[in-house]
Amino acid sequence: MRETVKLISMEGFEFVIDREAAMVSHTIRSMLTSPGGFSESKDGVVTFPDISTPILEKICQYFYWSLQYSRGKETEFHIEPELTLELMMAANYLHT
Amino acid sequence: ILSLQRVMKSIEFEQGWSVMETGVAKLSRILEELPEPPFLPEEYMNQYTTIYNMCIQKPPLDYSQQLYDKYSEVIATYNKDTVLPSLRNKFDEYMLKELVKRWGNNKVLVRWLSRFFDYLDRYYIPRRALPSLNVAGMKSFCDMVYQEVQSKAKDAVLALIHKEREGQQIDRALLKNVIDVYVGNGMGQMEKYEEDFESFFLEDTASYYSCKASKWIQGDSCPDYMLKSEECLKKEKERVSHYLHVATEPKLIEKVQNELLVVVAKRLIENENSGCRALLRDDKMGDLSRMYRLYHPILLGLDPVADLFKQHVTAEGNALIKQAADAATNQAASSGGVQVQDQVLIRKLIELHDKYMVYVEECFQQHSLFHKALKEAFEVFCNKPVAGASSAEILATYCDNILKKGGGTEKLRDEALEETLEKVVKLLVYISDKDLFAEFYRKKQARRLLFDRSGSEDLEKSILLKFKELLGGQFTSKMEGMVTDITLAKDNQISFEEYLSTNTNTKLGIDLTVTVLTTGFWPSYKTSDLNLPSEMVNCIEAFKAFYATKTKHRRLSWIYSLGTCHISGKFDQKTIELIVSTYQAAVLLLFNNTERLTYTEILEQLNLSHEDLVRLLHSLSCLKYKILTKEPMSRSISKTDTFEFNAKFTDKMRRIKVPLPPMDERKKVIEDVDKDRRYAIDAALVRIMKSRKVLGHQQLVSECVEHLSKMFKPDIKLIKKRIEDLISREYLERDSENPNNFKYLA
Repeated sequence: MRETVKLISMEGFEFVIDREAAMVSHTIRSMLTSPGGFSESKDGVVTFPDISTPILEKICQYFYWSLQYSRGKETEFHIEPELTLELMMAANYLHT
Repeated sequence: ILSLQRVMKSIEFEQGWSVMETGVAKLSRILEELPEPPFLPEEYMNQYTTIYNMCIQKPPLDYSQQLYDKYSEVIATYNKDTVLPSLRNKFDEYMLKELVKRWGNNKVLVRWLSRFFDYLDRYYIPRRALPSLNVAGMKSFCDMVYQEVQSKAKDAVLALIHKEREGQQIDRALLKNVIDVYVGNGMGQMEKYEEDFESFFLEDTASYYSCKASKWIQGDSCPDYMLKSEECLKKEKERVSHYLHVATEPKLIEKVQNELLVVVAKRLIENENSGCRALLRDDKMGDLSRMYRLYHPILLGLDPVADLFKQHVTAEGNALIKQAADAATNQAASSGGVQVQDQVLIRKLIELHDKYMVYVEECFQQHSLFHKALKEAFEVFCNKPVAGASSAEILATYCDNILKKGGGTEKLRDEALEETLEKVVKLLVYISDKDLFAEFYRKKQARRLLFDRSGSEDLEKSILLKFKELLGGQFTSKMEGMVTDITLAKDNQISFEEYLSTNTNTKLGIDLTVTVLTTGFWPSYKTSDLNLPSEMVNCIEAFKAFYATKTKHRRLSWIYSLGTCHISGKFDQKTIELIVSTYQAAVLLLFNNTERLTYTEILEQLNLSHEDLVRLLHSLSCLKYKILTKEPMSRSISKTDTFEFNAKFTDKMRRIKVPLPPMDERKKVIEDVDKDRRYAIDAALVRIMKSRKVLGHQQLVSECVEHLSKMFKPDIKLIKKRIEDLISREYLERDSENPNNFKYLA
């Protein structure tokens, strides 16, 4: 199993994160675990033409925060107010 | 406040749908195993995103419903155009293979499509309470494909199973997968599997085995038939584990058992030549174990087997009884012959019990039905008398033989003896007249203890412990008391001898040993006013004085009939020590004063009864050791005989026992027991009525029987008589309103 996946924003920014973190998103998880899905040779590379870089960045941070939270580190996740709406929509899209 | 406004294109339905169609087409090609590269993440996300976008658009561009319908349509079309045709042109095993493939494919199809269309499952579907994508997809296959082929598939499967039953190899993995199709299409319920497959399978199985059973039962012996049945059951269980659903196993086994074992049970088990009775006769333990294993899981299946077992054991037991009875009548002439037969009988009964207990334990796995059968069988013949002696008496005699000197204690080692005693007690369980046994045992025990004939004190105690365990303390209290008395007597004797040595004015001239018995523990003995020889009178007085120093409130009755004397007989040739009973000694000592005595003179001098005297004189003059000579030299005593001391008597031994053959105690024992029984019945009746106050006749009788069953089986007529007696003694009265009822009178 590949350890990391690459998420690309609409502007072309590449975020390489742990597979485990990416799977916090149900959508991404479904994709990665589909039958006849991705063999070892394939990259786990996904482009999100509808998600901007700052949002995607925030989402990646969220993934890690979520993993830590579930492991007991109960901190707060700060969201800048101006990102809220887009972040919610992206979260909905990614089923996070 | 939005800081970023993105331009979001609206997607027209046709536009969006054509994207999906591409994805669907690719998926189809993959499923049809056409050369097609797998989905890239881009392609996947594209599919997902398309659906997502089409669903978040504001109405009227919210295409959720259309997309949901399209989803179902896609799957239905695929089933209709691709899946069904591929199944329709195939048959039998090929069709099954195709079905399994298509079923697998369907799962993949539904999974992929529902991931593409996933967004619908998040909001649209729950809000409208519609079937989820997964359910809708599976249902499509179920309604369109499964429904059409399931019946043919079932036939194909049954055909393969039949082949396997007839011994051919089949593709088990394929069948397992086909069964999964039936189970899977139940959508979580077992209905489809049960209705579309299992019920037909069970019916088919039943008729298959019904056929086999009819064929086999004609020609096969019982053991062979059972072997085949066992094999079939084993194979069917394997069948379940290899490809059927686990829930089918109990139903399957029940059907097979029914056809192979239940329907033919009577014919099989009762087969004259090779059925249960024959197997028992020929000691075929392996076959009997098999019979038990086969019929054990079947409701009431073991009943006929247990019944035949009981019949067989009863027949064997009865045969032993008859054997003993016949031997006894044949040997009635020779004395001691009857005795030996009794003992042989007990030994054989014990052997019989041991033998069939092994059957109960090993073949029949300690099942209660068979314990019961064995018990009931033994209860039948263990209560039959042999040559006039009840089984209770015979068993008591057997015990006596083991416990007395020269009997078992010298012949067998300790463990063997303990074991034998255990088995004797086991037989006692089956004897209904336990109180009769107790009385005979007690009489013989008394004789052993009093005449020092017991082989081992430990064994005496050991067997009493066993009795106590089995029948309770009340049964053994008297017997134990007897043993204690003997022990105490030994201590007492030491005290007596000390007393004698310290009291120098009491010179007895005779060594006297006295055993004091507690009345009530010991059987009742007649006392008689024997005129003691003067030598003995002093001794009696001395002991009386001694005893008075020990206790003030007890009265001693002397039972001379139980005493033993050692007398020096100064015959012409040599002096011989004679061991005789006190009565015999009394007779002999008369001849110290006179040479000759007539019967009548002896009678007057000793003050004995005729019965006793005849026996005494007979033992001294007509048997092996003729201490007295008799005129005339006939073999029996008459009142006109004369007796003389036989100075010419001699024997190679220096000490001899001159036995006095005991009187037949049988009649007395039976009388005593009958008397005790009357009291026991009275006591039981009163106890029952006291607690119940009012009771019907039938019930009173049956409860009475129940109460007493531990010790004996009371005669119903006797109970009724005792009830009448109690009424006349005003313990009970008849109920004036209902004469069938009795009332307790306080």
